[in-house]
Parts: sequence; structure tokens; C-alpha cells
Amino acid sequence: MKIKTDQEAKLGYWLILPTVLAIGGLILYPVIYNLWLSLHKVNMNPNLPNTFIGLQHFVEVLTDIDFWTSFKTSLIFTSTTVVGTTLLGLGVAVLLNRKFPGRSIVRGIILLPYVTPVISAAFGWKYLFNPVFGMFNYVVVDVLSLMPQHINWIESPRYAIFAVIIFNIWRNFPFAFLMILAELQSISGTLYEAAEVDGATGWQKFKHITLPELKFVIGALVILRTIWNFYKFSEVYLLSSSVEVLPVYIYEKAFATYNFGEAAAISVILFAFVLGFILYYVRKVLEW
Amino acid sequence: MVGKKSLKNKIIFYVLLMLVLAFVLIPFITMIGSSFKPDQEQTALPPKFIPNNPTLKHYKGVLNPEIFPFLVYFKNSLIVAFLSAGIGVVISIFGSYSFARLEYSGRSIIQRGVLIVYMFGGVLLVIPLFQMISKMGLFDTRTSLVITYIVQTLPVSLYMLGNYFRTIPESIEEAAIIDGCSRLEVIYRIVLPLSAPAIVSVFIYAFMIAWNEYLFASVFINSSSLRTLPLGLNQLFYTQHYIWGRMMAASILTAVPVIILFLSIERFITSGLTFGGVKE
Repeated sequence: MKIKTDQEAKLGYWLILPTVLAIGGLILYPVIYNLWLSLHKVNMNPNLPNTFIGLQHFVEVLTDIDFWTSFKTSLIFTSTTVVGTTLLGLGVAVLLNRKFPGRSIVRGIILLPYVTPVISAAFGWKYLFNPVFGMFNYVVVDVLSLMPQHINWIESPRYAIFAVIIFNIWRNFPFAFLMILAELQSISGTLYEAAEVDGATGWQKFKHITLPELKFVIGALVILRTIWNFYKFSEVYLLSSSVEVLPVYIYEKAFATYNFGEAAAISVILFAFVLGFILYYVRKVLEW
Repeated sequence: MVGKKSLKNKIIFYVLLMLVLAFVLIPFITMIGSSFKPDQEQTALPPKFIPNNPTLKHYKGVLNPEIFPFLVYFKNSLIVAFLSAGIGVVISIFGSYSFARLEYSGRSIIQRGVLIVYMFGGVLLVIPLFQMISKMGLFDTRTSLVITYIVQTLPVSLYMLGNYFRTIPESIEEAAIIDGCSRLEVIYRIVLPLSAPAIVSVFIYAFMIAWNEYLFASVFINSSSLRTLPLGLNQLFYTQHYIWGRMMAASILTAVPVIILFLSIERFITSGLTFGGVKE
């Protein structure tokens, strides 16, 4: 039998080899290469040699006011969308966690924003947010008079962040909804029955039974959404390129002004920040 | 009293449900309505969802290669998504079988190593990958996109297929081995046919991710004849094709294939997602 297990192990290595090569070559190597690039003055032509300059890019970036503005935008964008997607997902999941006619169709409809290509959804929202004839301005300004005049929700840097946040919550809350609904359906009904016998109100049941059962899934959703939204590029850039979150800032540094070394340094800083957040969150919040 | 209370609850429930559905659907209704509006109605005030005089001219325009390169972009997206999903599925069939059934030292380390892909978003990889792609002479080729997309979906594909493979009774595989089949024959003759629905779902998932991708495409592709749909449509938005109806028709034609594919595998994907594995 010894020979057989050796053969099995050998086959195991052969079968996993393509995966290891793909991830090593297209994820691990680029990450290390990126670190190397961040320490060099990178030539605009990728085929010409680069000059080592040490930590100079990092000093430049960290003393650049534009970087900190962008960092702040990223923090605002990520924190509001993480809270927004999770709360809306939780609310809708609790709402739909009952039997009613057409339930599976409703669930399918709610998933649509999450599966529609970003480019299509972004065009739809651009039309809604149009400063002149968009439905959003019409309702908010002309019908409800919440604002004194029409606002350019897509191009004004001050207001575009609201559009981007609404768009992101619209697109991503279905994911939170789906995960939380699955968890809700696994909570045993007898817990609620026992609470009802003891005379618990709806809110008490939610607070003392539902929320503790959801603690793990909500914790996981928050950390995943935080990581994803710190790195989020297309959903921001395709709706409004005036919202300079860090990924958009990196993109423009690298591919609009060809400052590859500095852009690489910013992405190293972004990664370090996200990594720090993960370590803190896993230890202090999830208590693993 | 109970009847009254439950009626009130029912009304609250349906009002909330309508609000949720309105929030979800209004962008879609806007897109569909606008894609059928004649030009003068696009910018009419007050805005309306439903056109007064619906027209098919935007769809005809989008599908006419002489005015709009939609079909070129569609073809490019199809090629790139099909190849990257196909190659990705083959790699993940091998990899997930190795994780699910074969024993060797280092397996759990590799298995956990795959998860680190989650830690790196596309924006961290785009600069070094652009440099690598240029050095390899792959700049402005579809190949550059295919190889980049393969790896983006691997963790989820490995996870979903691995879970599925573990549900196949091991005794069937052992019986086949005793009958003289090799492990590779077991994969080919037993595991693959039994896992067809899972394999199709993983393929469609990878296809959707590739169909949707914008960041790498915008950096790796230069020629307009090689642009994929997200890239091509975004660039057209800033040219003379800035005709809302046409952009909306193009957006809908981009979304429809993906939505149909998704609905065909909804049940499998949603149960796969809720077991915890996903990558955006």
C-alpha cells in the first residue's frame, strides 16, 4: 500500500500544480514585484531599466495633501457603504423571512443589481442622476423641494460621492441580504416559540434571539465588504471619475500621468492599511 | 383584535416590500424605458419612465455595425469570457479533486494559500501585471485578459467544486479503482459526469466575472477592435455616440445574456455563496 499512497501524493501534486503556478505567477509574484517597483523610479517604457531610489516615493506620497484627501474619501466611501449594505441587507432579509406568494421571484429580483454588469447599471444610474433631466433631481428638487436647485450628482466632486455611495449600496446590499437570509432560515423556530410563551415582544425576540445568531455572518460580511470596498475601482470610476477614492487615485497616477513608481507605493500603503484593519478586526471584533 | 393586527402587519409588510422593489427596479425601468424613447423624449421635462412614442431605432442602431461597433465588442467579450472560464474550470477541476480526495503533505497549506487571493484587489495587481504583460509582449492582446481573468475566479471555483466532489460517495470511486481504473480515469468517467451541474455553474460564474471586468481591460487593451463590452461602451460614452437611447439599448443588450445565465444557475450559485466562498 505504501507505493500506492506515494503515487496518490504524486498525482495530488501534479493536479494542484496548475493552480499553484497560476496563483504564484499572477498574484504572489506581481505583489512582490509591486513592492520592488515602489522602491524604483519606473521608466515609462516597461522595457527600459528602472532606477533604485529607496523610500523616496513613500516620503512623497505621505507628505502629499492629495493623497490624504483621497485617503479620506476612501474612508468615507468604505464606512458608509459597509454600514449601508449590511443594514439594508439585514432589514430586507428580516422582512422577507416569511412565507408570502411570489417569494422566490422577489428574491430573484432583489439579486438583479448584484449580477447586472457594472457598466450597464452605471449607465442606468447616470441617466437617473442627470443634472438636467434626471428623475432623481426632478423628485428631490422639483417635487419634494429638498434642495434649492438641480445638482450635478455625477460630475461635482462634492455631490458625486453621494451618488457613488447610493449606487454601491444598491448594487451590493443583495449579497448581504442573501447571506443573512440563509442564516435566518437556519434559526430554529422553537427558540421563538419559547420566547413567545415567555411573553417576549417582536423587538425583544429580534434583539435576544435573531441578532446573536447572526453575529458571525454579519461579522464576516463587514470584513469582506470592507476589504472589497477599499479596493473598489470600477463601481466608482464608471459612475463618476470625480470621486477620487484611493484605487481611482492609483489608477490615474499610473495610467494618466505614468507615475508608476509612486502609484505602486500608494498601492503598497493601501494594502498595508487593509492588512492592518483585517488583523485588528479579527482579533478585537471577531475575537478569533 | 388578532385579525385587525395581522391585517395592519400585512399592509406594513406589503408597503415595505414595494419600497424595496422600487429601489431595486427603478434603474432597470429607467434603462428599459429610455432605450425605447425617441431622442426628443430622452431629455423631456418632467422625466417619464415610459415613452409616449416607443421606438426600436436605438436597438437597430446598436446592432448595425456601420454605426456602432457593439457586435465587435460583444464578440471580444464572448471570446475572452469563454476562454478564461473554460481554462479556469479545467484548472479548478484538477485542483479541487486534488484537495478533496488525494493526500499529500503541504495540502492544507496550499489550500489556505489559495485564500490569500482575497487579500489582493485588482487595483493592487494592475500596475505590476501591466509591466509584466508589456515585457512579455502581450500588451493589446486578448491573451493578456484571458490569463489575468483565469486566476481571479480560481478560489471560488476550487471551493465550489471541492465541496461538490466531497458529496460524491467515496465508495463508488474505490470500487472503480478496484476494478482497475486509474485515478485519472475515475475523474474522467465518474466524477465529471456526476458533477456536471456544478461544473456548468462554476463555468457560468467565471464567465460572468470575465464579462463584467473593466479595470484590467482598460489598461491592457488599446485597439478599438479588441475592446470588450465594458471598455468599449465606456469609451463610446465620451464620443459622438453620446445618445442616451443608444447607450441604454447597448447596456441592456450587455446585461441580458448575463442575467439569463445567472437565472439558469441561481439556485446553485446562491447555495454555493452561502456556504461562504465568494470573490468579487
